[in-house]
Amino acid sequence: MLDVTRQPSPFSTWFANGIDPADRFGVKDRLDAFTRQVCEIIVGKTEAVKLAVACLLARGHLLIEDIPGVGKTTLSQALARSLALGFQRIQFTSDLLPADILGNSIFDRDEQRFVFHCGPLFSQVVLIDEVNRATAKTQSALLEAMEEYHVSSDGVTYDLPQPFFVIATQNPQHQVGTFPLPESQLDRFLMRIELGVPDRASERAMLLGMDRRDMLKELKPVFSIETLLEIQQNVRKTHTSPALLDYLQDLLDASRQRHSTGLSPRAGLALLHASQAWALLSGRDMVLPEDIQAVGVAVMSHRLGHDIEQPGQSGRTLADALLRSVPVP
Amino acid sequence: MFGGLAPWVPTLFLITLAAKFWMEPRGYRLRSVLFKVVLAAVTLGAIFFSYGSVKGIEPGVSLIVVLMSLKILEAHTAREFQVMVIFGWVLCLCGFFLSQDLAVALCLLVAFSLFLVALIQFHRGSSPGAFWPPLHLGGKFLGQALPLVVLLFLLFPRLTTGFRFQIMQPSSATAGFSDRLSPGSIASLANSSEVAFRAEFPDGRIPGPAAMYWRGVVLSRGEGFEWRASESPASIYRATTPFSGDEGIRQWITIEPHGARWMFALDWPSAPPPGASLAPGNYLWSYEPIRKPRRYEVKSSPAISDKELSPRERKMLLEVPAWLSPAVRDLAQSWGSSSSDPRAVVNRALQFFRSGGFQYSLSPGPYKERDLDEFLFHRRLGFCEYYARSFATLMRLAGIPARVVVGYLGGEYNEFGRFFLIRQADTHAWCEVWLPEGGWQRVDPTSVVAPERVNLGLDSFLARRGVSNRASNTFAMNVAQQPIFTKLRLAWDSINYVWDTRVLSFDAEAQRSFVAEIGMSDANPFSLFMRTLMMAVGLLAIYGGWMRLRTRPRADRVKALYGRFCRKAARLGAERQPWEGPLDFSRRAADLVPDQSRRIRDISNTYIALRYSPEPTPSILDTFAREVNAFSLATRGRAR
Repeated sequence: MLDVTRQPSPFSTWFANGIDPADRFGVKDRLDAFTRQVCEIIVGKTEAVKLAVACLLARGHLLIEDIPGVGKTTLSQALARSLALGFQRIQFTSDLLPADILGNSIFDRDEQRFVFHCGPLFSQVVLIDEVNRATAKTQSALLEAMEEYHVSSDGVTYDLPQPFFVIATQNPQHQVGTFPLPESQLDRFLMRIELGVPDRASERAMLLGMDRRDMLKELKPVFSIETLLEIQQNVRKTHTSPALLDYLQDLLDASRQRHSTGLSPRAGLALLHASQAWALLSGRDMVLPEDIQAVGVAVMSHRLGHDIEQPGQSGRTLADALLRSVPVP
Repeated sequence: MFGGLAPWVPTLFLITLAAKFWMEPRGYRLRSVLFKVVLAAVTLGAIFFSYGSVKGIEPGVSLIVVLMSLKILEAHTAREFQVMVIFGWVLCLCGFFLSQDLAVALCLLVAFSLFLVALIQFHRGSSPGAFWPPLHLGGKFLGQALPLVVLLFLLFPRLTTGFRFQIMQPSSATAGFSDRLSPGSIASLANSSEVAFRAEFPDGRIPGPAAMYWRGVVLSRGEGFEWRASESPASIYRATTPFSGDEGIRQWITIEPHGARWMFALDWPSAPPPGASLAPGNYLWSYEPIRKPRRYEVKSSPAISDKELSPRERKMLLEVPAWLSPAVRDLAQSWGSSSSDPRAVVNRALQFFRSGGFQYSLSPGPYKERDLDEFLFHRRLGFCEYYARSFATLMRLAGIPARVVVGYLGGEYNEFGRFFLIRQADTHAWCEVWLPEGGWQRVDPTSVVAPERVNLGLDSFLARRGVSNRASNTFAMNVAQQPIFTKLRLAWDSINYVWDTRVLSFDAEAQRSFVAEIGMSDANPFSLFMRTLMMAVGLLAIYGGWMRLRTRPRADRVKALYGRFCRKAARLGAERQPWEGPLDFSRRAADLVPDQSRRIRDISNTYIALRYSPEPTPSILDTFAREVNAFSLATRGRAR
């Protein structure tokens, strides 16, 4: 496995003209503070937290696949509170209907007309618990909203708030009675990560530490929503050199040659945006192959995970093998 | 350019072109086969009637032009267009059959290039308006072909002649003067700006303008107003002795074809160039009529070599026609009897012309054939040939052997090419008299009547006198006299001269000497051909390699240097995995080789900056190269 948990190093010698790359957008310190604050709550999960932040910065949506109780909700709440974002949690069940999450048009007797009442999806950070428990109908309503950033009801379009960040979770075990997300819809998630159990030391720190709920209540916003939107804009401006794009395309080509369903163009875009966000998080204004490798598994694993030719292998292994097989040009 | 073609042939071409432009937008097409056959038959018949034959160069070229014209009318498909372009190229080649002048060559080059451009444009599709890209591409093609053209020009074996091939028979045999000097024969040349020959003085010894008498032919048979050369100079007993000594003025003369046999040299040529003899009267006489440009070296000495005059020659040189009037005889004899010194007689004769009210005029009006009296005693109007003829006749009457020399006087110096250009308009006639103590002496009676004619050259002389009948439009004349145009004309002349002497006369012999000069003396045509082929292939290979080199990715050098760095690092024990990014590798390698960690980090950071940063400054590349090389030194230092 690639070493993705490294710390950003000072790149003072990179530029002859002496400009600190991190200051190009002037956000490095605030991003560091943001990541650090979330990491204080989710102890020992620096990589996962960083990936989640990168996903948020890249304007993607996050799929967390793990057993219950590893801190998925806490992570979502920490992210939301650190940025003073509105937060909603929706538990998906098999009897949930699209209108339950999107909202309903209800007849207002005073005004003599139907009025649209926004559902819980109209929030900046939405945690969807056990997304595979709902029926395909509800799932697709959710995923459509995720892609389009708006909700249509009775022919009227309602914009979702900005930023709009969906964190969906699903349980890899207990698959009975679930509706697994189809590939086409998995593709809508920028990343899929696993939190996993913390290591011994981290778990000890957590056991000894304060109640997470109290800690969440005390969290102070690190920067404003406007700043977040600005950073999201800047992510797309992070420089990608021709050499890097060569590497990215080599990866895409290799996946298409090796697997029956290779990475789609949308996956290529996802990989690009995620690695841009990762580079920005690492304090760089240019993307390196290492950035692609850092986000590579998270971005590619759920897209490669259902290869009919290699059914035994998980997407994680496939993505890892892919990254190791394509040389950096 | 179309000199040899019947005028209706190019006209037909233009008409069909115009017709096509009219027909095409309206959708008219030539569909009737019968009509086409009739059209072709009519034009073929017209060619036959125009030339009396369908064989030969002009009928052949006309045939191609006519068929091309008809093809324009008929053509509609892409294939026909391409065939026409190829035909056009053939036609360009045919242009050289008609003339090989530089101007024609340039026209044909433009035509050739435009055909190429048309073909390119055709293959680019039908988007109109884009005119420059195909032109640019065509220019590029031609530029790329240039080295090959030069190579083939220099080395491709010539079979017989150079590029100057004389396929046409010279139309009216002679250009310039003839071996007969009859009234008015030079005046007709005074308006001709045709080039007679060009002369270079390789030693830099240039005679003054007044001494630049280019000897053409000597007319020693005098019949009053009409003088003729001896029937055939070679048939006459030769009294010439080759001149020895090298004080002479060396000249390189490039003569334009004139169909006769005389060649030109300054007074007086001392030895004939190859292929010519020195005729009695000391003028050059070619063995062959001059039908193509010829370049020769000749040396002239200021003193004539034959000092003896045989009685037979003397008798011939004193012959006068019997019909001369008593007045003329009396005039001459009055000089002869007044002094026994021939020099004094000559001076008296010159005095007669100087003070007798003679005037120089290129249009003296018609004289009767034998009317020497009219000229000498009444009208006293004429130009060089009149003076030369009458002077020589008078000298003979006075008992002094005399002859008329026809040639050229002066010439225009071209400062760009450092040569003299002598035109037909510079034709001149003068006299030579035999003096017992000095042999032949040049006497130019025209110089007495109109000294400026000799000193200035005809053009300036006429311009000064304001009697030029050359250009009716004085404004155009004035414009043409502007220094800038004079300069342009001189430059054009000198380019023409180079074209004639270097390109067109590069024949088998010139090629042989060139090949020997570059060290391939044993070249027979076959080996020359093979070598040319090899060189051409080599040239193409070099060109191909250069193209590959030029189109290689720009990042290659950075990549190659980084590859070298990685190989060096591997020798130190830190091998980079192919999938490993530069940052990861730098960290890992720094850990593996701690004493080089700083260098490794520096090199990796520079590499990252060069390859992935938004605007890598080019100077970093040199730093990077230096760092990688220094890393090598450090490695060696460590190994020691």
